[in-house]
Amino acid sequence: MVLKSYISENTFRDSVYLMRLSNTIRNFEGVIEAEVIIGTDHNKKFLQSGGLWSDEIEKGAGANDLIIAVKAENEEKAEKAIQGALDELNKYVESENLLGEFIPRTFETAKKNLPGANLVLISIPGRYVEREAHQILDAGLNMMIFSDNVTLETEVALKKKALEKGLLVMGPDCGTAIINGVPLAFANEVKRGKIGIVAAAGTGLQEVSSLISNLGEGISQGIGTGGRDVKAAVGGITLIQGLEALLKDKGTEVVIIVSKPPDAEVTKKVLEAAANSKKPVVVNFLGGDLEQIKAAGCEPAATLKEAAEKAVNLIKNENIGADIKDLVVDEELVQKTRGIFKDEQKYLRALYAGGTLAYETLIMIHKKTGPIYTNLSFDNVQKIEDVYKSTGHTIIDFGEDEFTQGRLHPMIDPALRNNRIVEEAKDPETAVIMLDLVLGYNAHPDPAGSALEAIREAKEIAKKEKRQICFVTTVCGTDEDFQKRSVQVEKLKKEDVLVFPSNADAASFVAELFG
Amino acid sequence: MESLFESELKVINMGLEGFAETLKERGTAVMHVRWQPPAMGDDDLLSLLDKLK
Repeated sequence: MVLKSYISENTFRDSVYLMRLSNTIRNFEGVIEAEVIIGTDHNKKFLQSGGLWSDEIEKGAGANDLIIAVKAENEEKAEKAIQGALDELNKYVESENLLGEFIPRTFETAKKNLPGANLVLISIPGRYVEREAHQILDAGLNMMIFSDNVTLETEVALKKKALEKGLLVMGPDCGTAIINGVPLAFANEVKRGKIGIVAAAGTGLQEVSSLISNLGEGISQGIGTGGRDVKAAVGGITLIQGLEALLKDKGTEVVIIVSKPPDAEVTKKVLEAAANSKKPVVVNFLGGDLEQIKAAGCEPAATLKEAAEKAVNLIKNENIGADIKDLVVDEELVQKTRGIFKDEQKYLRALYAGGTLAYETLIMIHKKTGPIYTNLSFDNVQKIEDVYKSTGHTIIDFGEDEFTQGRLHPMIDPALRNNRIVEEAKDPETAVIMLDLVLGYNAHPDPAGSALEAIREAKEIAKKEKRQICFVTTVCGTDEDFQKRSVQVEKLKKEDVLVFPSNADAASFVAELFG
Repeated sequence: MESLFESELKVINMGLEGFAETLKERGTAVMHVRWQPPAMGDDDLLSLLDKLK
């Protein structure tokens, strides 16, 4: 086994490009491990812990250099992988030269070259956000901050400044938004319409907007706030600002608020702002107090699906409860599914890519199933000791930091989750494996196809031990998404995977099954 | 913010290039910034530069 590295001086590429490139050369024959990474101190520590460290890197790589580090079976194979990475990097430069497009290096130059620019989408490393963001606000532009690892103090300062200037700061850690019909970052292609959403929950916004679109209505604006916005320290600045803007917006007739339960004083302020409205406001504080919402004159929704359905009924001027069926579980399917399990198959293993969807499942099922072990933060359940090993009923969010350090988010690269599907199949106590498949811009081109590769392997393992595992899935997205929801659903159904119309439907099935 | 809702969205994308590409494919006006860490990623030099501003 050999370890080889190459340092390309003064070369910078974004992290997603480099993680994809790392994946490409990891698949080269004879390669054991590989990383293509910028030589920052943080990344160097990452290489050290991953066993890809060498003297050459220690002496030669700085924060503006690019490191290609490869562990391979022999020298030749390592060199081939390094050359493969260099070829890809050169292709990138060539295509840029061919296009002859001007690519600015700073915000100021970009602003000069795009007259009328009104929003900046920032996805740079978190510690550099503050510098850039202040000058963007000073120049009078709105912002969506996709980056995480931005300090709380910076978030508060930026949001206060934006509020004074009448500008919008979505995020930090805002993964999805739809502004003027344009999906930003991880958003779905949804119909335009009269329902405005303000959400402190990324996949919550994706699920609600997709369900509305699939019901035939559309979205005016989908404002993301970042999850920390509803904490007392930030005070819900963006949530309230977004809500007030939607209440004034001529293109919006019904407003939906989606968030994990905000801190008490933020809940009070949000509901006060909503109470003064002439437009109906549907509120889903995942697991929050429905009576408090009702008392404020808003429409409470217990699930993301119910929020979407209530808003659609309000737009259609129908009775708000029309067509909303309680989450009815198919008893026959429950009995049939129970019948396939052996006595020792007792547990749910829910492996999620979308944090809000995982959280919704947790709050919907924990009272029925008994103890749940999870890496999600929730008062009433047990934190899992080892996130890499399930125990009892387990819900894992693969979008949490422990899985995304130096790796692509599971919505882009489901490899880690796929490995876990296979691992769960080896455990004789696994009865149900539950998955969310999230479609949309910048997500994996074929989430169902990718999951099915692991599902087939898992089924084989179980079959050898004369067990059957039930696979429960939900597909978040629309037929207008480039992955096309109906195609994804069909693929899964063809291989006897249960597909539910929403995450809430899938969760209520699972709750009944183990209840 | 109301003026944002009433005008055509024009985006400056700073960081992940993929976000600019999807916007461009959709026909949204977008300009990508090839951002790099300032001061060659040297924090000491950066704080010195910031003081000079």
